[in-house]
Amino acid sequence: MAKEITIEELRTMARRAGLPLPDDELLRLLPGVKRAQSQAAALRELFTNAAEPATIFTTFKIDLK
Amino acid sequence: MQNNQLCYLTIIEAAAALRKNDVSPVDLAEATLKRIQAIDSNLHAFITVTADLALQQARQAEQELSAGKDRGPLHGIPIALKDLYMTKGIRTTCHSAVLENWVPDYDATTVTKLKEAGAILLGKLGMHEFAFGGPSVDAPFPAVRNPWNTEHVTGGSSSGCGAALAAGLCFGALGSDTGGSIRTPSAHCGVVGIKPTYGRVSRYGIIPLSWSLDHAGPMARCIEDCALLLQAIAGFDAKDPASAMVAVPDFLCGLKDGIANLRIGVPRAAWFDENLGVDEETETVFNQALEVLKSLGATIIDIDGRPFSLARKANQTILVCEAYAYHEKTLQETPMKFGSSVRRRMLEGAFLSAADYLTAQRARSMLNERIRANFSQVDIFAAPSAPRPPEAFSTMDPNEQNLGPSFTNPFNLTGLPAISVPCGFTQGNLPVGLQIAAKPFEESTVLRVAHSYEQATNWHDQRPVLE
Repeated sequence: MAKEITIEELRTMARRAGLPLPDDELLRLLPGVKRAQSQAAALRELFTNAAEPATIFTTFKIDLK
Repeated sequence: MQNNQLCYLTIIEAAAALRKNDVSPVDLAEATLKRIQAIDSNLHAFITVTADLALQQARQAEQELSAGKDRGPLHGIPIALKDLYMTKGIRTTCHSAVLENWVPDYDATTVTKLKEAGAILLGKLGMHEFAFGGPSVDAPFPAVRNPWNTEHVTGGSSSGCGAALAAGLCFGALGSDTGGSIRTPSAHCGVVGIKPTYGRVSRYGIIPLSWSLDHAGPMARCIEDCALLLQAIAGFDAKDPASAMVAVPDFLCGLKDGIANLRIGVPRAAWFDENLGVDEETETVFNQALEVLKSLGATIIDIDGRPFSLARKANQTILVCEAYAYHEKTLQETPMKFGSSVRRRMLEGAFLSAADYLTAQRARSMLNERIRANFSQVDIFAAPSAPRPPEAFSTMDPNEQNLGPSFTNPFNLTGLPAISVPCGFTQGNLPVGLQIAAKPFEESTVLRVAHSYEQATNWHDQRPVLE
């Protein structure tokens, strides 16, 4: 399990993502980001390498139109 | 007939009255517009009222019906739309400052279908901003209030649809549902709402929240009306890449066939007690609803709730990633144009990785299989529509999440059809909803079970005191 994100890391990631967010907004955002990341991490425990994503590109779908 | 009696007719009743010439489409439109003017300042269900258009469409319907040109049961019926359905020439705001004065130049496919069916458009309804977050308390339009108690929220995100139907301000409405946004306000406002199977109803011309989880669907005051509306909007649409080329059955046919020998799966274990669990009064009302279903011939079977519980994690991960991707440019350029609740939820998606998103999509495949595997032993699933009654504005934190299980998320993740039907009230006179879900494209089953329950009870006949 990856370690929890810090405010410094959040600030760096926001800057890289082109998001002009002030520190007070980043602080308010932090608990939600931690929750979102921990939810995604919990899903990693679920499956084996055989599981494929639900979004698979299919060529014939386009041909149908 | 008094004005409020007219406004609370079901679509079925109004359609019959129109054909007996007891009322006219203009009577229905004028009565609802008058009622909107009289009471909506307390509810804020409508963002835009299209009074002139409604009266023009009503006069046209009146002429057509008297000339024998009958477009079907929605002809001359006043309806309203969640304000994310694109309407040509009519402002479509998504309840947001971002689109405060945006006027689309084409109609959503569903809007076109309702127009062709002769429905009358009363206006555009309030919602949670961009169909996400909590009630929009810092948006340019006021948050919608619950007609059962205006100190309480309606639930969302199709808030205005729930409020307008409960208050007799329209006869039917179209909402959208990405994590429960049709079923939650239906439950909290004491009305009916169905989220059809993913692909059953076109999403073309509906502002997306999350492409792979968004569903369009109808809301109404009773099951028959919901079936009628679904009939009008369902079907393949080449303009929607997710649209399913699956035949549309007659949703009214078989509605009254009963539920003898129906096997109902209740995924209670490891789901109902998740996080803060389900509210005690809500669970009591839900258990009473199960007893009614048993008395109608159904069998209740306990099933494993774990995959249903895990579904929320996958649903929310996919949702925030897709929502952020759609709104990225606006969030980078003018983030403060969004209300605080929706902005913070969407921004979560900026800090998840591509691997997180694909992990959630892999979990979706697996959970979909595990949830659907239950259909070898049950015909439908039942659960409360919401874990607790609608909260009061005074105690609500619009940024608070995950206080209870999400009973609605699993059916967005799996795309299964699911409905909310009124099933009782709390001691505080706030409505509670019963949710029923079935196999893919079995909306008819969902509607039949809900109709059987509805007809055995009188919850759907209850009206809030508003005058």
